[in-house]
Amino acid sequence: MMRGRHAVTALLLLPGVAVVGLFLAAVAGLVQSALIGVDGFSARYLNQILERADYLVVMQRTVLMSLAVALTATMLAWPIAFLLWRAPRWRNRLLILVMLPWLVSIVVRTYGWMVILGPRGTINEALAWLGLVEAPMRLMFNDLGILIGLTHVLLPFAVIAILAAMLQIDPWLEEASESLGARPGRTLWRVLLPLSAPGIFVGINITFLTSMGAVVTPILLGGIREKMAGTQIYQDIVYAFNLPKASSWALMLLVTAFLVLVVLRLAEAGIMRRFRH
Amino acid sequence: MRIPGILLLLLLPLPILIVVAASFTPEGYLRFPPGTPSLRWYEEAVGDPRWLKALGLSLWIAVLTAVGATAIAFLTAWCARCRLPGAVARSLDLLVLSPLFFPHAALGVALVNLLAVFGLVATPTGIVIAHLICALPFAYRPVAVAMQRVSPEMLEASAILGAGDARTALRVLLPLCRPGLVTALLFSFIVSLDEVTVTMFLTGPDIMTLPVEIYAFIQENASPVLAAVSTAMVVATLALVLLLERLVGLQVFVETERG
Repeated sequence: MMRGRHAVTALLLLPGVAVVGLFLAAVAGLVQSALIGVDGFSARYLNQILERADYLVVMQRTVLMSLAVALTATMLAWPIAFLLWRAPRWRNRLLILVMLPWLVSIVVRTYGWMVILGPRGTINEALAWLGLVEAPMRLMFNDLGILIGLTHVLLPFAVIAILAAMLQIDPWLEEASESLGARPGRTLWRVLLPLSAPGIFVGINITFLTSMGAVVTPILLGGIREKMAGTQIYQDIVYAFNLPKASSWALMLLVTAFLVLVVLRLAEAGIMRRFRH
Repeated sequence: MRIPGILLLLLLPLPILIVVAASFTPEGYLRFPPGTPSLRWYEEAVGDPRWLKALGLSLWIAVLTAVGATAIAFLTAWCARCRLPGAVARSLDLLVLSPLFFPHAALGVALVNLLAVFGLVATPTGIVIAHLICALPFAYRPVAVAMQRVSPEMLEASAILGAGDARTALRVLLPLCRPGLVTALLFSFIVSLDEVTVTMFLTGPDIMTLPVEIYAFIQENASPVLAAVSTAMVVATLALVLLLERLVGLQVFVETERG
């Protein structure tokens, strides 16, 4: 009887385990392709990334850009999450404004920014019409364009992470703080901010990871000169058909992301300890 | 804090609205604000077979992904809830959700590696497999949350009244999880329809999904026909989000198991 039940459970789990298994097999394939050459172990392309100055710059830009995007997006997301938390009756409706930009394809959202930031885009046309600039300003095909585009792409993620943490807060705590004489500003700073901190940290981690793996936005708004790791990986696969090299870049990306996450976790633990005092 | 919140919230959909507005431009290159509205670029989009072909493929893949991911999510969540010890169930939860946190560029390369072994790169089957992996976390969470809320007494009552496990799952658990299943279905459909970062590694000249076709077109041409096609995608996504809001509400995305 028990064995029959176990067999049925195994059968029911099969599709789910197959999907997860394919994911894990793909990751294993990636590691293998990065580390095993025709004649055994070879870290050729991994060494190449560490040895070539131009490649190191790309890796460095990817990490710094992703950190900048994660912090900017999370900072901008907090007031939005706060607004939604404070408006329970409107929350469902207002969430449409968050969910729609989250779910519309990244390629469409990035294209929107190209229309806004381009040399003949909305901003430059408006500035020229007002007579404020002679020649169009360079707002994309540089780091600024990537920063704006990725921050916007990842903002909804951060809003949802922070709002989820805020909804765990007992609303009476705010009232308690105010009835004990704290001014609203102080309540915000000493009560709401620390209590929403878990959501802020989740927001930073998720936006950082997603930004590390971005491809479309860096290519379209950064161009081929201001590369991020995603740009390099895409070029190696689609134009150079060099799977081992692309896999090595992806592995380097994963290891770097993991190391940065460890540092972020330590920083978060430190901040949480400060809050408790 | 409220005023910056309102401003930022209104800023969020702005780039999308700009694309919609720009799609009605009568001119040969994109300008904003546009002149007298015209449907010229919509006519051109419909007349170009590449867009309809890509749309057809995208819809097929999205339907298969949504149905597959939701069914798999239900079976897996059912086992996790009723048939597995707690510790195993929790590790299973984590494993199912893990692709969500995996940087997409790396996931794309990983899938190229895997699918190349089976000769499935640039095939619809390969893209469906990739989308199932990407969409399963989005289908699993709402189903698992809905299942968590079903009180154990309901399942016990069904068992006491003589229903077997399968009957209890189909006649009690399934209907009680309906909001979660609807969310999972619509959500994984949208995720598949709009996915581009992983898919762009897996398409070929003849096998193009709509977002990847838009991406390829941007690289060669800045014609406002892109704004028209993008607007169609925005309208489709908006319709699905509104449907989701109507049927189950959007709060499910910010509520946790305990909520």
